[in-house]
Amino acid sequence: MPLADWPPWAGPVSHFILHEGLPLTAKIAAASVVGSAAVGIVLGTLLTIDFLPVRALIRLYIEVWRGLPLIVTLFIVFFALPGLPLHLRFTQWVAAAISLTLWGSAQVAEATRGAVESIPREQHEAASALGFGWVGRHAYVILPQASRRLLPPLVSLLVNVIQNTTLAALIGAIELLGAAQSQVNRLSGPPPAGLVEIHAFEIYGGVMILFFVISFPLTRLAAFLERRLI
Amino acid sequence: MQLLASFDWSFIWENRGEFESGLRKTLEVSLLAIAGAFLVGLFLGAARAHRVPVVSWLAAIYVEVIRNTPILVQAFFIFFGLPQITSIFGHFHFHILLSPFTAAWLTLVIWGGAFNTENFRAGFEAVPQRYREAALALGFTRLKTFFNITLPIGGRIALPSSINTYVSVLKNSALVGPAISFPELTYQAYSLESVSFKAPEIYFALALIYLTVVWMLSALIRLLEARLALPEARRVRVRQQQLREVV
Repeated sequence: MPLADWPPWAGPVSHFILHEGLPLTAKIAAASVVGSAAVGIVLGTLLTIDFLPVRALIRLYIEVWRGLPLIVTLFIVFFALPGLPLHLRFTQWVAAAISLTLWGSAQVAEATRGAVESIPREQHEAASALGFGWVGRHAYVILPQASRRLLPPLVSLLVNVIQNTTLAALIGAIELLGAAQSQVNRLSGPPPAGLVEIHAFEIYGGVMILFFVISFPLTRLAAFLERRLI
Repeated sequence: MQLLASFDWSFIWENRGEFESGLRKTLEVSLLAIAGAFLVGLFLGAARAHRVPVVSWLAAIYVEVIRNTPILVQAFFIFFGLPQITSIFGHFHFHILLSPFTAAWLTLVIWGGAFNTENFRAGFEAVPQRYREAALALGFTRLKTFFNITLPIGGRIALPSSINTYVSVLKNSALVGPAISFPELTYQAYSLESVSFKAPEIYFALALIYLTVVWMLSALIRLLEARLALPEARRVRVRQQQLREVV
């Protein structure tokens, strides 16, 4: 079907999805990936120390957030936290970013532990001999070397986080899927806003294509980095 | 702890029926979907590993599309989009109206099948080429070679990653439920919350149930893995045994 034949409703719908939905998806994904990396790298590094109580606590954190379905975490953050004594109330996108960060940081922590443990003992000893403390040793010597191994999982995490931002639609955020949903509902309604027509097939299909176009290059990049760096 | 004591636990106990029926539906749809994903993965994984023309290419496209799109969008597309095909191709009169259960099950099979295809493909490809050549040289047909050599060894190599996929299928049922109003555990909790406003109690109980199920499953998996794993030493033994049997 040539472009000129597109039905008249397609223009406003795609404009809304791309200009309202896409930026919010990008915002949630960016905040979650940065948060996951920051929290996960610290926790993963702490997971390699010898002090058992700390290790056990971090282990519990990882197992809980990896074990729970992401949607349950999201419902806890968005619906349950406002009812607790602190009355933490978040807007939809912040709640989604927090849930994705809890889940993502657990993944990153696990990957970081593996990456840090892959650095030979001698590197730790040499850094200590040069007068680095625990923090300096990890920040300046170990983690820069471990980052090579950490990059591929971080790119995979980005793909997963982008796809999982769609969960925010279930709590009413107007990200890509939420925007698509609102347009399907609008078109199915009576005029003047709607057409009393259902266009779920085209609109959700379009959103699927959009996600594929975003994710596919990133999956390829992750596979490439894995071959090159590990 | 003080916080947990302040919760209205009797409310959860009074409504345990909702949780029970939800958990039952979650397990039902997950088990069915896991069985489906196993079959899809086995069939397409074998086709991919043996580079069966056409089937292999279609399977590759299927895997890439599913792995690079969110499962939530897939569920919306299947549940809300597919029934519309009737009106697009208006001349034919057929209906693809899916019940929430079928749509949930179908979404999970399609999603899990794609990941499982990759798991099984990797497993089958990890079986040394010489095993297959030896079997063929001994007069095994290609089909017999697959069922007697490639499947027992490659299937066990693929076991840990495919089991991870099955756990993900169970966790994703929590996502598909609220999306298409299929009353599994999470959707039951959600609808209970929307009439009672006891969010902390309900979602705490919900998290507890999921963690119990997922952790129990993980423990079970580790047992199974230890039992069925194919360590290097055992792989050699399997080979010797097979050689002995053949001789």
